[in-house]
Amino acid sequence: MNRPELEGTAHLLDELDKKLIVVLRDGRTLIGYLRSVDQFANLVLHKTIERIHVGKEFGDIPRGVFIVRGENVVLLGEIDAQKEANLPLRQVTVDDILDAQRREQESKQDQQRLLTKALKERGLNLMPDLTHDDMF
Amino acid sequence: MLPLSLLRTAQNHPMLVELKNGETYNGHLVSCDNWMNINLREVICTSRDGDKFWRMPECYIRGSTIKYLRIPDEVIDMVKEETAIKNRGRDNKGAKSQRGRPATRGNFGRGGGKTGNIGGRNLAQKTKQK
Repeated sequence: MNRPELEGTAHLLDELDKKLIVVLRDGRTLIGYLRSVDQFANLVLHKTIERIHVGKEFGDIPRGVFIVRGENVVLLGEIDAQKEANLPLRQVTVDDILDAQRREQESKQDQQRLLTKALKERGLNLMPDLTHDDMF
Repeated sequence: MLPLSLLRTAQNHPMLVELKNGETYNGHLVSCDNWMNINLREVICTSRDGDKFWRMPECYIRGSTIKYLRIPDEVIDMVKEETAIKNRGRDNKGAKSQRGRPATRGNFGRGGGKTGNIGGRNLAQKTKQK
């Protein structure tokens, strides 16, 4: 795209209509076609899927059209169609990945409880913020 | 089509709004503004864990608390049709103005002259009155 006024500046206009991966502040991953952006990096994603990763497995949930408020975006990346075809990951069904995700979250919470308990026994009262879902 | 214009196009359509705190609001969009503040009607609010629900006839959401909005596919199709129609209009206009450019310029010049004349006439009248 020929935009001399934007030379040397980072911008999203080159990414229009490409397939992008978007990571949100809550850790969710969206994959869709970027249809529009504005000065706040608000995004319009088309034919979006939400991809959940657990270990070496992933699952896709179709989600449709998104208007993402820019301030919640952590990362945008173009998806290489060729590399996407041979991912070192295994796709599983939505139900399976949701199960795996739940198990992962539960084991994380158990771990956190153990840590809190161990620290408490040693005289440190760590209050984990359980409502904190913001990874970044 | 900017994201906020798309949101305006989505008025009267059902949508899902997720807030930064994880609560989701399902309802029909009534109105929105340039700050992404929105009004919804016939709303179902769902708690972060998806275990509690509230129904309300209407609600107002401050734009800055929104994480994302999910809108129906047909809204994007509506936009595509609109832009196609607009582009057709623009092409026609472009062709016309290109063809008619000398004429337009001529008109412009003449128009300017005319106003000048009017001014002159007025001036003349004024001078006559004097």
